[in-house]
Amino acid sequence: MAMTSILLSHDAPRSFSVVKMASRAPAATGRLMLGFRKWYYNMCGFNKLGLMRDDTIYEDSDVKEALRRLPEDMSNERTFRIKRALDLSMKQQILPKDKWTKFEEDVSYLSPYLNEVIRERKEKEEWMKK
Amino acid sequence: MKGIRGISQLSRRFYAAARTGQSLAQPLAGLKLSPGAAHSYQDVHVTRLPSGLVIASLENYSPASKIGVFVKAGCRYETPDNQGVTHLLRLASNLTTKGASAFKICRGVEAVGGSLSVTSTRENMIYTVDCLRDDIDTVMEYLINVTTAPEFRPWEVSDLTPRVKMDKAQAAHNTQIAVVEALHGAAYKNALCNSLYCPDHMVDNIHSEHLHQFVQNNFTSARMALVGLGIDHAVLKQVGEQFLNIRSGAGTTGAKAQYRGGEIRLAGTSSLLHSAVVSQSAAAGTSEALAFSVLQQVLGAGPHVKRGSNTSSKLVQGVAKATADPFDVSAFNASYSDSGLFGIYTISQAAAAGDVIKAAVAQVKAVADGGVTAADLTRAKAQLKGQFLMSMETSEGLLEVLGTQALASGTYISPEEISKNIDNVSLTDVANAAKKFVSGKKTMASSGNLIKTPFVDEI
Repeated sequence: MAMTSILLSHDAPRSFSVVKMASRAPAATGRLMLGFRKWYYNMCGFNKLGLMRDDTIYEDSDVKEALRRLPEDMSNERTFRIKRALDLSMKQQILPKDKWTKFEEDVSYLSPYLNEVIRERKEKEEWMKK
Repeated sequence: MKGIRGISQLSRRFYAAARTGQSLAQPLAGLKLSPGAAHSYQDVHVTRLPSGLVIASLENYSPASKIGVFVKAGCRYETPDNQGVTHLLRLASNLTTKGASAFKICRGVEAVGGSLSVTSTRENMIYTVDCLRDDIDTVMEYLINVTTAPEFRPWEVSDLTPRVKMDKAQAAHNTQIAVVEALHGAAYKNALCNSLYCPDHMVDNIHSEHLHQFVQNNFTSARMALVGLGIDHAVLKQVGEQFLNIRSGAGTTGAKAQYRGGEIRLAGTSSLLHSAVVSQSAAAGTSEALAFSVLQQVLGAGPHVKRGSNTSSKLVQGVAKATADPFDVSAFNASYSDSGLFGIYTISQAAAAGDVIKAAVAQVKAVADGGVTAADLTRAKAQLKGQFLMSMETSEGLLEVLGTQALASGTYISPEEISKNIDNVSLTDVANAAKKFVSGKKTMASSGNLIKTPFVDEI
């Protein structure tokens, strides 16, 4: 859905990197950066609308194919979350604090499918080069 | 000079001396023969592995090799809640497996100029690959992947629905298919009544889990046979031992087919009326089944001379007296592992249908009452032998014969022995077979304009 990109001030990062600290620390994936990552996640603000990170992903052709492959129950849940967020955005409201998506609960449900789609596309491209 | 010549011949003499143990009739092991090389005749080798897998191969020195995996997983093994799963399985042979994606299988097989195909009968599923001799390793890998490690990804399986519909639409155009499927549906209560095509109500309802479960239950080593043409037996044996031992055991046993004898009438507007009237015959492999095959040739099973008058067919001659309109009639014979169907198949003008069917059945009764001469019998036996031997002339036919024999009995019966068995069928055997048809409970399936078509109890 194209509407998703309008209501956010940030684009949800697909790969996470911190520009300021790039020279001193590796890409923030370790235990040490956990606190920072949690703070950044809350600053992004989409969790206040009840969304997960993968709900906000930009829908290029790979993502569209991955979404097509999503099992029905996950797909329905995603649609519900997006619909609820659109509704809140229209009313200029956010969810009560207890309903915000927590950092630990934010599962990247689309990644396995997306990685598979990208792998298949790369395989095709490799083959075509020959 | 003589001495130097002698020295150069020394190595040849040593070589010849060392090779005394090697038979001159067998090719050297590991030697890659070029297609033009002179070769010696090789027999069919059959081995049964401890896991139950049967391996059969014939080295025919052909430049192209053919490998087939035969599995006892035809549509008779479908259960009421997964009707149509074998149709989907047939179409799912090119989907992603654990070792190769669908794209890779397709392009990989194409790259070596080979082909991968699936056929399924009511009893067996047959996966075949063929390609040039030297590239057999590549396609063998894909074949093993497809038969032992398919993934059946949910979205790939649901993408098969349009292909299922296309298959069904094409089959619907062919009246013979519709009549034969209906005939089996009416003749049996279970197992053999399942159709080769997915029933309408299951078209979108077969999912990945059904396919996985069917493969788990039916694709076991004891129910598989690995057959090869143009390949070394040792190589095939190694492949069978290493890769086709994933699922052991016999899987779920199929139900024994129960004959019930019913009738299905498919009304239509076609002016040509197709009708099949059969009754239960004998299981494949028995001497009774052979008698039915000879009876089929006695009665007539299709023209042997194109555009000829089919004088050797008793059925055609009998029906020609009953109607002047165009018609066709032949004897129908199908044998399965535990049952069989035998009868007549007629195609006639809708108005003459009743006369044609009754005349055809009367002809079979005439045979049952002893209307077969020795000359007829000899002719029929020759035709049956000819048909069988001709079917083994092509590599597809030969592979199928090897495979079905390997699956059914785990051995290979030579064409000479089969010819001998055919010769041993007597006049009384044929008459008894005809009597069995006449007295047995009949099944009937008709399709077309049913205006003058008799019911099964009116014949």
